Amino acid sequence: MKHQISTLMDGELFEDEADILFDQIKRDEEAQCDWAMYHLIGDALRQPEYIHQDITAKVIERLQNEPTVLAPRGNVLKQKARVLALSAAASVLAVGVVAWMSLQITPEAAPQMAMQQSNIRPVNMQIQPKSNDYLMAHQEFSPSNDMNGGASYIRTVTYTPEEKSQ
Amino acid sequence: MRLWVGVCAMLLAVNVQAADGKFRLDWLKTVAFAAHQTDYSGVFIYQYGSHVETSRIAHITEADSEYEKLESLDGPKREIIRHHGQVWCYSNHKMVQVMSQPGKGRFPALLPDQLSNLGENYQVQDAGVERVAGYPAQVILFQPKDNFRYIHKIWVHTDSGLLLKSVVLNDKNQVVEQYSFTQLKIGPEADRSWLTSNEAMAATTTGTGKPVVAAGGQANTVKSINSGWVVDAMPSGFKKTMEILRPMHGKHAPVIQLVFSDGLSAISIFIEPADSDEDDNDGLSSRGAVNLYHKVVNKTLFNVVGEVPPLTVMQVLDSVRYNGK
Repeated sequence: MKHQISTLMDGELFEDEADILFDQIKRDEEAQCDWAMYHLIGDALRQPEYIHQDITAKVIERLQNEPTVLAPRGNVLKQKARVLALSAAASVLAVGVVAWMSLQITPEAAPQMAMQQSNIRPVNMQIQPKSNDYLMAHQEFSPSNDMNGGASYIRTVTYTPEEKSQ
Repeated sequence: MRLWVGVCAMLLAVNVQAADGKFRLDWLKTVAFAAHQTDYSGVFIYQYGSHVETSRIAHITEADSEYEKLESLDGPKREIIRHHGQVWCYSNHKMVQVMSQPGKGRFPALLPDQLSNLGENYQVQDAGVERVAGYPAQVILFQPKDNFRYIHKIWVHTDSGLLLKSVVLNDKNQVVEQYSFTQLKIGPEADRSWLTSNEAMAATTTGTGKPVVAAGGQANTVKSINSGWVVDAMPSGFKKTMEILRPMHGKHAPVIQLVFSDGLSAISIFIEPADSDEDDNDGLSSRGAVNLYHKVVNKTLFNVVGEVPPLTVMQVLDSVRYNGK
């Protein structure tokens, strides 16, 4: 089959042979892949300015796995590193959301907006140990103390993997 | 005769409904009091995301106060001791006093008006009886009426009212964090030996122990104030329960703290002058159900902390405004 496809692409098959092969390729998914792959190889060898490659599925997959950055990072260098790490399309989208949110939040607009945006998954950033004092100060006045007793204090001193390695 | 039966049935129905609502509030009162007034000791797990941690806790009531110790069993050693309105924290090989409210007694801060407040913000449902850590537990579900709070589910020991398990869920019913006792002794069976043998207890009770470091060496007292800061977009149902000027560990100057509560969760807003090295950590971070949003605006540092979804803390911080003179 592969050999036949190769022969067909070289224009060395008769018309009736080619028709039969086209029919086979249409029915055979594997053959379709081969057909696309051989064309890609051929295109690459000719070094054109543009190569057709279908990356839709991959982009969709990456976008779905991408967390949405809700808050801007203060440090420009860190942000640059993040932008490199994320796929370009997703970062642009995320930064767009951040810029839009920081511009748009006004007291009147905020409640409705929060409702609409509740599906956004925040970036999974852990509270830094240096902020533990705020958690502790908050915990003392939280009603969760009255429900959970002291157990809820574990939040204020829970360790992070970075600490573990020290 | 038939009329009488009808009237009786109606009265009965009304009665049952009232009793139903009362049943739930009674449960909450029982839970709140049990957490403060019951002696217990045990081991519980705390989990959020991929993080799982085991800790042990002991809680002993005294004539005029409660003594409580929490110790991590995994990772670096950390301890929290609460005694007589004071909170001590041991971590990084240091014992630090983080809070002092001498007036705070053994009674819960959860007052009746906060309980009714809770009914306005959550639909409280009886979710049956299950078994946790070997004890029968009444399951109570708190379904929020809007997206500004999480779903809470608690398992309460049917005899003592102690909370045996607690789960926080987001609007997609995914677990945000959970606590659960795996082993628990209640009442006279509670293990006291581990509590009293600790040198930290001696230090906190006599005030002379060496490991104690007062926060910044300043007066540890908390002052009620009127700071002049207001929140324009506080979600409905959150009422201000506290507005104080407080010392904070690691800070040179006192910090303003505003606390808002909806009866089950709280939001704290911390306001202080920004240090020059503070801007590194801008933004949102989380730990279990707690979200923290951090921002510097006009050389003022704001930190909003709460057991509420990320968008709630962000909305609150972005609507804080100075309304004073």
